[in-house]
Amino acid sequence: MNIAFYLLSALAVTGALLAIRLRNLVHATLCLMFFFISLAGMYVLLMAEFIAAVQILVYVGAVGILILFAIMLTHHITGATRERISSRGWLWGLGAALAVLFTVLLPVLLLSVLPAAPATPDFSPSVRNIGLSLMDPYTITLQVMGLLLTAALIGAVAVASTSVRPQDKPRT
Amino acid sequence: MVTLQQYLILSAVLFSIGLLGALTRRHAIIVLVSIEIMLNAANLNFIAFWRFAPHPENLHGVLFTLFSIAVAAAEAAVGLALVIAVYRFNKSPDLEKMNSLHE
Repeated sequence: MNIAFYLLSALAVTGALLAIRLRNLVHATLCLMFFFISLAGMYVLLMAEFIAAVQILVYVGAVGILILFAIMLTHHITGATRERISSRGWLWGLGAALAVLFTVLLPVLLLSVLPAAPATPDFSPSVRNIGLSLMDPYTITLQVMGLLLTAALIGAVAVASTSVRPQDKPRT
Repeated sequence: MVTLQQYLILSAVLFSIGLLGALTRRHAIIVLVSIEIMLNAANLNFIAFWRFAPHPENLHGVLFTLFSIAVAAAEAAVGLALVIAVYRFNKSPDLEKMNSLHE
């Protein structure tokens, strides 16, 4: 279990680092997919198999493909250019990220009350239980999620398909 | 046995990597990718805390992660649509050149 954890975390950290540092955007997206897959493996280690399946379906299947489509719709950015990829104040960004890292890590490293092992060793939630709790205490949340996803998809299509500017229209 | 601390450290490192990408890259799509990395780090935190909680049979952590994934998918769809729409005007995905909201 330890070996699997270290392997998956090394894969996740490498994938995330490559995803934000690679010059070629398609390669960066593929590294991002590796990151998503290793996080799904982490969920399996944490006994959340349904979340692992959802992670593969939604992130690798939908979000990754969406990002690839966006890259291919906005052309000449496949990384052949030699220009700078970092923004102007990147040193400040690095400092801010390191500061946040240490601020987040301090309580984790200082607190000794964190449990070392799960309270219930052999527990695995069935999909039936997840579905039942979606129906009983989380009904409103489920409805709101459906509304949000519908609105987001309609909004995305509306935003992305305003193709012709008024002055570009052919005169009749 | 993997402890909760290790999961939290991994999640903090992944979150900082995502923050680093969002703060330092110029390409709009890569910034969205970094935001996805940060959201995934937060999801890992949720699942780890749920697993090590006294009563994991309550399933609150799993359901919260499920909703978080749904929100992240909606965010990715709208964000990429906005990137494509802005790209049509600016002819460049560079965030440092996107300094105007109208034509």
